[in-house]
Amino acid sequence: MSAQLIENMLQALVAGLLVGAIYGLMCVGLALIFGIMRVINFAQGDFMMLGMYAAFYLVLGLATQLGLTGGITPYIGILLTGPFLFVVGYAIHGFLISQVSGTRSARLEGEGHYAQLILTLGIALVIQNGALIAFGSQLISIRTPLSASAWTIPLLDGDVMLFVNKARGVAALISVATIVALTVLIGRSRLGKALRASADNPDAATFMGIDVARAHRVAFGLGVAVTAIAGGLLATNLPFHPFVGIDYVIVMYAGVVLGGMGSIGGAFWGGMTIGLVQQLSTLILPTQLQNTAIFVVFLLIVFFRPQGFFGRVAERT
Amino acid sequence: MLTLEGVHAGYTAIPVLNGVSIRVDEGQFVAIVGPNGAGKTTIFRTISGTLRPFAGRITFDGQDLAAVRPDRRPHLGIAHVPEGRQVFASLTVFENLEMGAYTEAGRRAWKENLEAILGWFPVLAERRNQLAGTLSGGEQQMLAIGRGLASSPRLLMLDEPSMGLSPAIADLIFEKLLEIRKHSRLTILLVEQRVAEALESADRGYVLEAGRVVLEGPNSALRADDRVRQAYLGM
Repeated sequence: MSAQLIENMLQALVAGLLVGAIYGLMCVGLALIFGIMRVINFAQGDFMMLGMYAAFYLVLGLATQLGLTGGITPYIGILLTGPFLFVVGYAIHGFLISQVSGTRSARLEGEGHYAQLILTLGIALVIQNGALIAFGSQLISIRTPLSASAWTIPLLDGDVMLFVNKARGVAALISVATIVALTVLIGRSRLGKALRASADNPDAATFMGIDVARAHRVAFGLGVAVTAIAGGLLATNLPFHPFVGIDYVIVMYAGVVLGGMGSIGGAFWGGMTIGLVQQLSTLILPTQLQNTAIFVVFLLIVFFRPQGFFGRVAERT
Repeated sequence: MLTLEGVHAGYTAIPVLNGVSIRVDEGQFVAIVGPNGAGKTTIFRTISGTLRPFAGRITFDGQDLAAVRPDRRPHLGIAHVPEGRQVFASLTVFENLEMGAYTEAGRRAWKENLEAILGWFPVLAERRNQLAGTLSGGEQQMLAIGRGLASSPRLLMLDEPSMGLSPAIADLIFEKLLEIRKHSRLTILLVEQRVAEALESADRGYVLEAGRVVLEGPNSALRADDRVRQAYLGM
């Protein structure tokens, strides 16, 4: 095998891992909403797009208002998008989505899923066109001082040189850190357990003294916030526009299903798988077929393991 | 402690309860018995607040519950162990108990309560890290009761704890209830189809038929009543 080939393969692998970490974070946000709370949300990609714009303007604000231009400033801006979009998600759930989900879903046809589909599709259209009016249609991206520099890792006595873009590397690290924090929050904290109990059995959760409606709003807000942070991270090396959400909402659903419904860690590995397949496929397929490769692999995995990587067959009894 | 006065309730245009009045005094064990569809579970749902009564008044410690949101009622000291157990299937046994202790009182007394609950139901200690959905029916019922007790309740409401269980397991559950009661002087309100066992354990009983209380009194009186003997005790 030539050194060139090895280098290309390793480069694709690294690219896959880095972008996969961000896709993983994106999927984890949807896993909270769709996997755990069982709300179909087709606006998730558009909440991510809002996160991208929020991050863009927050980073711009930090730079122009506070004069912060250091290498980590963009990431502070991106993480601040989280609380911002949490409020947006919390409010939209409270006003609209709570009407067709949670304790109300029992009275609706198909557990409210039809109504959720239509409602969130409507919300998606409003957000997309609202963003078009507010932000315009030109492509923008979040510039970071790190985007133009790379770590160089010599391998095989310098025959193979591996380049790791610093912006992508830092973004992947922040993704992983966010997921670890979220896993601890959902898995171990009192709030996290209350959220899971409220999703599992809303009536019984009420008998425990949990404000179920509020728990559902919080979970929705968290899911939106997490995906928004992923959007901000993605925007550091990907130009975006108001209609970028639709490309990613499909990736998110694929990732959540791959990982196994109801599993936060699973959704991360689902997103990671998609990132890896996407990047590795460029070794043998033309770039235009990236998404085809993703869905071929998706169908294969779902065919052989319908419950996903981490799905529990007997999860709900 | 708990009173229901002339409660009417039901589901969209289908009345289930037609003026039910019930009284539970502090420290009492009260049983509500009656056939399927008499409205026993509906009574519980109006007390815990997941169903709003059409008319009538429910008070707990003199406080009108109509003004208390359903999710605040457990914090007053009302624990509802629902029909069909309804444990959190995707949470572990231990997490289920922790959710029981969501109330302020439950959190303060968590250590002692946990020790007591695992003492009464040792199987829960063995299975503490198992998902509740993987437990057997009897184990789930023990968990549901343990979860109720973890809130440090003053009133424990049990909805058909014997439902779907083998007679041997159901007997065990009743024995445990009596044991728990002896140790804690807890006020218990029980709804049950197994009339003989329920009336044997309770201090007072109500017989509910078609949404009305048709008979009430101390357990000895009910067990001696001819109608009860014929209809429910098979004597």
